[in-house]
Amino acid sequence: MTTQTESPGNSIAAELLDGFREIVGDEGLLHNADELLVYECDGYIVEKKSPDVVVFPTTTEQVVAIVRLCNKFDVPFVPRGAGTSLSGGCLPVGGGVMITLTRMRQILEINLRDRYAVVEPGLVNVHLTQRLKDTSYHYAPDPSSQGACTIGGNVATNSGGPHTLKYGVTVNHVLGIEAVLPDGSVVELGGPAGAVGGYDLTGLFVGSEGTFGICTKVIVRLTRDPAAYRTLLGVFETVADATQAISGIIGAGIIPAALELMDQGIVGAIEEAYKFGFPLDAGAVLLMEVDGLEVAVDEEAERMVKICNEHGAREVRRATSEAERQLLWKCRKQAFGAVGRLSPSYCTQDGVVPRTRLPEILEFITATGQEHGIRIVNVFHAGDGNIHPILLFDERDQEQIDRVMKASDAILSKCLELGGSVTGEHGIGVEKIGFMDKMFTAEDLDVMADIRLVFNPDSRCSPAKMLPTAGACGMEHIERDHPGKQAAS
Amino acid sequence: MHQTSNEFAPASQGELQRFVQENNSGERLAIYPVGGRTSLNFGRAATRPGSLVSLAKLTQTVDYPVRDMTITVEAGIRMDELAALLREQGQQLPIDVAQSNRATLGGVVATNASGPRRYGLGTMRDYVIGLTAIDAAGRMFHSGGRVVKNVAGYDLCKLMVGSLGSLAIITQLTLKLKPLPESTVLLWTPFNTFAEIDSALNDLQESSARPVVLDVLNTSAAKHVSAEARQDLPCDGPVLVIGLEGTARETAWQVEKLKDELHRKQPGEIVVTEDEPATRLLQALTEFPTASDAPLTFQAGLLPSKTLQFIEQATSQNIAVQSHAGDGLVIGHLPDMASSVEQVVELLKPLRELACNGRGNLVVLNCDADWAKDLPIMGEPEPGWPLMQQLKKALDPHNILNPGRFVFCEST
Repeated sequence: MTTQTESPGNSIAAELLDGFREIVGDEGLLHNADELLVYECDGYIVEKKSPDVVVFPTTTEQVVAIVRLCNKFDVPFVPRGAGTSLSGGCLPVGGGVMITLTRMRQILEINLRDRYAVVEPGLVNVHLTQRLKDTSYHYAPDPSSQGACTIGGNVATNSGGPHTLKYGVTVNHVLGIEAVLPDGSVVELGGPAGAVGGYDLTGLFVGSEGTFGICTKVIVRLTRDPAAYRTLLGVFETVADATQAISGIIGAGIIPAALELMDQGIVGAIEEAYKFGFPLDAGAVLLMEVDGLEVAVDEEAERMVKICNEHGAREVRRATSEAERQLLWKCRKQAFGAVGRLSPSYCTQDGVVPRTRLPEILEFITATGQEHGIRIVNVFHAGDGNIHPILLFDERDQEQIDRVMKASDAILSKCLELGGSVTGEHGIGVEKIGFMDKMFTAEDLDVMADIRLVFNPDSRCSPAKMLPTAGACGMEHIERDHPGKQAAS
Repeated sequence: MHQTSNEFAPASQGELQRFVQENNSGERLAIYPVGGRTSLNFGRAATRPGSLVSLAKLTQTVDYPVRDMTITVEAGIRMDELAALLREQGQQLPIDVAQSNRATLGGVVATNASGPRRYGLGTMRDYVIGLTAIDAAGRMFHSGGRVVKNVAGYDLCKLMVGSLGSLAIITQLTLKLKPLPESTVLLWTPFNTFAEIDSALNDLQESSARPVVLDVLNTSAAKHVSAEARQDLPCDGPVLVIGLEGTARETAWQVEKLKDELHRKQPGEIVVTEDEPATRLLQALTEFPTASDAPLTFQAGLLPSKTLQFIEQATSQNIAVQSHAGDGLVIGHLPDMASSVEQVVELLKPLRELACNGRGNLVVLNCDADWAKDLPIMGEPEPGWPLMQQLKKALDPHNILNPGRFVFCEST
């Protein structure tokens, strides 16, 4: 790591930098403009802003010292995990200090008898499940980015994943949290025996997108591995047939472990990348998984096959080996990686509709893409009604970006009209902040702002995120300290 | 509860909001929200007189899109009415609640009540996906929505579950639902010692079955439950109850597996109940926390691995104990001999210590109102207590809602 002198124009005081150096050493600090570029955005590349400095603490004590120093110098700070979030959740609006937690990645305790593990926030999600291999337990939330994303980041955004349809999202698997609050104090919320008295602050903290403080330890619930799986691939002529089949499956009272839709556009890209043997002429494929007892999975799989056939499936294939199952899931989880074959840039939306409204929203997405001249491909958590239209564009062309923004806006507005939400798992971040007053009333936002003030009274921690109202305080603060350092909008 | 001066049952959420707003701009009397009044003794004694606000008239079904497996209802709906509504569509909210013919959904959310199936199916925080509530100033706010997956805004549903009406009055809820299982089976088997049950529970962590209930009863609780279920079940030692749900084929297969696995532990007779008798037994297990005129009923939450030690201690003190042992939750009824607050403090002392050593806590669910002020009803303060007080202040700055009963702050 560098010890070079800071780049010209860097607005962080030398005294503050020295303070950080004392806490984390030179090896725990980045402030050279070139190195900071990596940290200018997360997976949402439409808005970019470099932090003035990135600090890599390795202990809770260091996080405390860093936060205190930020407060002393009145500089905003934002926590970051692996930066895989998709709505600008860790964008350092207004610059300031980025506290990156990827070096706090220890598994501190695994207790199978009591079904919990204590981990540091920078632990990569899949590393916990890998460590649990052969114990017959795993950590259930499995975002597609689980090979890179951190559990602390999952806590911040309340991440989901394909298997959350049956097993629930992050908040259903977090028993307790240690956090450094924006004032530098450390608090323990909940514990391995769950919330035992008072309000469920653990539940409130999860999904607060870094605006309530910095999570430094997470106590997660461990889940028994299913005894058996059956993984199926339904091939449909049209997206409409596939979505009708989904509606049929859920309506029949079946809760599969996962139910994922991929349309023709994304299947083409995946096939090119991973050569699974997907049919390129199919309108959509449904990746379906049932899990449970060996004695039960075949019956449930049969019911799903029947429903697919009733809705015009061309064929339903079965994964015949664990290797084939793993390959299918690899194709699904790395679908976003394959998008690079279709377009230089992309923007993924994260709307939710009641699951029976999927056919309508999918039709609307197609029409919207045509209207705005934007190619849109779809790969998403169909069983939850959580859509992920991927809008393809070239970020070098501002006119295209504008059209992408308009199409995104139309799709998310439609989700609200159908009784849904603008985000199922990616979070509000900076991207969807403009939707908050469409989803919530002024009083709702007022109450949320009051609650945020309890944790984050100066809005110095993750300013200008999640709430349009409470952000104002943070924005003024930024304008004062970092004129002209707003994120691109 | 404190003696209250009057009672008000609004006919609509809007009427309730106006009442709360007028109160806030006027006298700022205390407001005690109530549902089915099954848990009025849970929480500290109220600190001042005020109005009982009953949600009993708010019972409308707002939206029930059956095929989406969600429902939006007003908070005053009774749990048995809700269950009947869902049953017609082959669906359920799998939260086992005592006195469901009185308890309301809003009350169950506010008290975070749960029962035997929490081990396999979770608690209220896993099912509330949207909510409307009115804070002390009369602000009607929403959180979540009507879809099963949603991370927009702060998750105030989590904050409201278990908040005992101290932050806001819950007026409407949206729930995620589950299909009704085809079959429910309960296995009942007594053991000689608690250590043997502990060892059996340990092995069940690796069982090829996937139980939804793992309850432990000491002998006196077992006799009580057996009688309530109108079944002549063996109670000659502490009892392990294992519950299964699923298709008939799934439960039958698991019963055989479990018999096999348990036999290695040499328990007493294994009684398998299905269908109606199983429903009655599950009901009796669910009613246990309230089906007693014991002088005091407590609930402890601790690590599952520390639970049997706790039950053994409680049993030695003649306390009737039920435990949702898979989750480390223990409910105990003190014996009649506990007739003074001093005795109660003595009885609870070793149990409190065990709960705290097991990373948990012990709260009093029900006791003589005169004792409440002298007992740590809500257990040891949590590390997050100062934050909780500030949250209370943010939503109820004048200490109007359930003053003194749960998290409290100085009135301003």
